[in-house]
Amino acid sequence: MKSGVTLAFALVAVLLLGTVGSAHHPISAKFDDTKPQTLSGVVTLVDWRNPHVHIYINVRNNNDADNWAIELESPIDLQASGWTKDSVKPGDAITVAGITARNGSRQLWANKITMTGTGKEVLHVTPATPPALLANRPTPRWPDKQPRLGPSAGGAQGYWGFPTSTVLVENNAAIPMDQWGLLKNVADAKRVAPMQPWALALYELRQRRFLQDDPTYINCKPPGGPRQFQIPYGVQFVEDRDRQRIFVLIGGGNNNYRIIYLDGRGHAGQVGGDDDNPLYYGRAVGKWEGESLVVDTRGFNEDFWFTNGGLPHTEQLKLIEKFTRENFDTLKYEVTVDDPGAYTRPWSASWTLRWVTGQEMPRHLCQENRP
Amino acid sequence: MRALKIALAVFVACLIGGTLISAQEGHPLKGSWLGTWGPAKTHSNDLVLVLNWDGKTISGMLNPGTDDAPIKNATLNPDGWVVHLEADVKDKSGVLNYVLDGKIENLSFQNRTIVGTWKNQRESGQLKISRQ
Repeated sequence: MKSGVTLAFALVAVLLLGTVGSAHHPISAKFDDTKPQTLSGVVTLVDWRNPHVHIYINVRNNNDADNWAIELESPIDLQASGWTKDSVKPGDAITVAGITARNGSRQLWANKITMTGTGKEVLHVTPATPPALLANRPTPRWPDKQPRLGPSAGGAQGYWGFPTSTVLVENNAAIPMDQWGLLKNVADAKRVAPMQPWALALYELRQRRFLQDDPTYINCKPPGGPRQFQIPYGVQFVEDRDRQRIFVLIGGGNNNYRIIYLDGRGHAGQVGGDDDNPLYYGRAVGKWEGESLVVDTRGFNEDFWFTNGGLPHTEQLKLIEKFTRENFDTLKYEVTVDDPGAYTRPWSASWTLRWVTGQEMPRHLCQENRP
Repeated sequence: MRALKIALAVFVACLIGGTLISAQEGHPLKGSWLGTWGPAKTHSNDLVLVLNWDGKTISGMLNPGTDDAPIKNATLNPDGWVVHLEADVKDKSGVLNYVLDGKIENLSFQNRTIVGTWKNQRESGQLKISRQ
């Protein structure tokens, strides 16, 4: 009998997993913050995996028990806050306060977890903050005085993170939205960028669906375009001067990379035979103009969202990006979006990233069909 | 013979739209669409549409490879995602002007559909096509 109940719980858990097909998603895409709920139950399983940790608990329901999936942040974020996979264990009695899933399934996003018996709080996630500035350190340079985008020669490791904006809005206009690009008021959509009518309507639709259709989270699609400088876990530049190219390594998403060619080649035919094959990161060619690296990228496919929040783009998208390392710890990113397929005119935005010194880029892996 | 024509039409559509048959987050009409628009005396039950968007105009081909006809006067009204397409198809008796009107359903999904009606000078009926 006991094994039958266990099997039933396991099946429920599998069914729950099957119904949620999104990866490291905006919380609002899956959970409704207007519907708080508190549950007390016994832990049956701790699933310590990317992109989100899950704790399964049995909650008494009359003479039966319901198995609930409690969703938490990623292992990286939990570890940064002092958690380990043993912080709660199967058999522990816990109380969870959180918000419920929009689709009505037995899932809860945990805001607070306490041990039921003692009241001791075991979940306390501290949001990561940029490291304190040590001093106004000068921009590191190559022997020919060109700014370095990566670590200084022989210097400590590091990467670029903590973007001052995680959304793309024309001229950085102050439009209320969350870090994932979800507008507080959909009526503000037309102020975000000069969209064509179809693009505006599609953007509004994505917003009304709480960004739950984002292919970056549903299918681990690469964060092409400006989005690679908006997502958590940062980016790293590897400057291969011998081969005249820069690799941009992306810490989040599916951990892939983009190549910026500096050898004077054109956009077409960068890789033999791929002229008709639009790409997630497009075809990028760059050159140094004084203190700034200016990159012209085109040849994007339409299989992804190029920014948090779901602004549409087409294969006609062309980006002009400017990277300026203003000092050791600050990288200014400026982008002009030129896509006559989706927008009525070119438009621009900018933000800065902070050098996270002495640390390797976190290794966060998106995993398809994992909630 | 009809089956052969249909197979050829689908094959050509796949060749033309080969790079499009994948996730598509851009203009909602762009891509290859496959479905039915019969029964009718003037055409087969199967319909293939290959549509494109250049930033100003929706263009494309109806049943590429067999009874192919370029799309004209195509519009998409985002207010309700209402689609209007026209195409002139030549047959033995002359030119039939086809008018297709419909609405995109399940826009957020890759297998979105257009459901609506078609008509020419002689016949009319229902159509349903899905994006491939």
